[in-house]
Amino acid sequence: MPRSTEEILADLARGVLDLDEDLAVAAAHEAVDAGMDAYEAITKGLVVGMNEAGRLYDEEEYFVPELLICSDAMYAALDVLRPHLKVADQGVKIGCVIGVVKGDTHDIGKNLVKIMLDVAGFEVHDLGRDVPLADFIEKAKETNSQLICLSTLMTTTMDGMAAIIQMLDEEGIRDRFKVMIGGGPISRSFAEKIGADGYADNASSAVRVATELFATAAA
Amino acid sequence: MAVTEVMSSVGDSWPAAHSDPESMARLVLGMVDLAGVENLGAPFCMTIEAEGMGATVDLGSAETEPRVTEYAIAGLSAIDDLAAFDVRGDRAATAAEATRLLVAERPDLPMIACVTGPISLATSLVDPLIFYRAMRRDPSAAHALLELSADAAIAFGDALVGAGADTVCIADPSGTGEIIGAKAFREFALPYINRIVDHFAARDVHSIVHICGDVKALGGVLGEVSAPVISIDSNVSFRTLRALAPDHASMGNVSTYLLEYGKAETLRRVAVNRVLEGVDIIAPACGIGPRTPLANIRAVADVVATAQDWEGAERELRSVAVGR
Repeated sequence: MPRSTEEILADLARGVLDLDEDLAVAAAHEAVDAGMDAYEAITKGLVVGMNEAGRLYDEEEYFVPELLICSDAMYAALDVLRPHLKVADQGVKIGCVIGVVKGDTHDIGKNLVKIMLDVAGFEVHDLGRDVPLADFIEKAKETNSQLICLSTLMTTTMDGMAAIIQMLDEEGIRDRFKVMIGGGPISRSFAEKIGADGYADNASSAVRVATELFATAAA
Repeated sequence: MAVTEVMSSVGDSWPAAHSDPESMARLVLGMVDLAGVENLGAPFCMTIEAEGMGATVDLGSAETEPRVTEYAIAGLSAIDDLAAFDVRGDRAATAAEATRLLVAERPDLPMIACVTGPISLATSLVDPLIFYRAMRRDPSAAHALLELSADAAIAFGDALVGAGADTVCIADPSGTGEIIGAKAFREFALPYINRIVDHFAARDVHSIVHICGDVKALGGVLGEVSAPVISIDSNVSFRTLRALAPDHASMGNVSTYLLEYGKAETLRRVAVNRVLEGVDIIAPACGIGPRTPLANIRAVADVVATAQDWEGAERELRSVAVGR
């Protein structure tokens, strides 16, 4: 007898949360075979599992290795489900450019934030690491993004963040974008000092902050 | 560690000084003479071992440190392709020669050999995302790479100790409790860090282990670090350090952000507080930024220089600015 939708959704979530890629992928195939709605399988299955993993990361039960393997399981299952998404479900996402500022190549944190923003439904354009400051602005304009996420682990490159905000000011386009910053040496007070819109101290709070920024903007 | 004000006074500068022993030595002496730092230390960066094993390094600028721009191997299956770290390589030899010059010039000061911790080196040789996954999925490959990384740290440390260094500082910013958790730290970081520490201890060379981030995530594992000195980040209190590692001497933890952007008077107060809290060695909490004003480092050094005269300050204090 075929399993219920709830059981399949639970396996999608559990596969992601329990670092079990095989389970997540098998559940994704099962969802497709059962004719389940792909969008629902993603949002009520995979995303639930990834959010739960994010919560455990926040609570220091999961760490970087665990979160990476959860995201591998999620993306593997997503590959199975994505071809079955209806066009209408793909909707218009809020665009976001993200990268590690010039002078720094530490990108673990940036990659985690990218995964979590992707899960949360942002359209993420990843510029990578050691990114020239002007590239953030160029890419944001080119992709019509509304969110610019800047990361650095080094005190020597923090000033690059302020420079980007200043460049936005000078071009007179500051109000078109929300700027969110994070990384080892970054603090809320530094974010306020340089006029960033948001500060996040880890990948799961980044999603919260980003979502709040646009909730406020919409209100 | 060097700041731009010292670079202009001395007439030597990053990035050239990373490949020139005399220039490197003059900058270190400049930090001593002009900033009041009470120790010598070399090299300035954490890329020499990785470069020696095949990673591509950009030496950066006067204001940014050298960094790895291309990993040595694409995946852990290529681990056999890694070059063994050769201490005769150009930049390793530069650091050793700078050490010789420094010890000859100032034999009265501690000379610290700065080596890269095992997880930080492993994640400079292969993409960190590959390495961190392997800790879960292919632990034997992760261990194999860590063995090679510890070998490199020991070889580099031996070369610097051979040149006259009397202390080794092992910094492992990529292997913190916040990134990998206490359980993985015990399995993947601690055995290799301790192997390096014990190697030098057997040669009467003491080690300092610098742990970035919040050490609370490590819990009691921290106390198992076999080095006599643990250096901590600015977001950790010495009370926490003492609770977790009561038998270790403490080092730290003046915020590098404050050092770069704060006022000298604030730095002076922070340093006084560290002394009152019973710190054994005052140091920056992390790598110091090159644009840090000399006056701010001086403010900290001045407190240390006078602290021994304070009533009640019984501990012997040394200020060490190991931050690279």
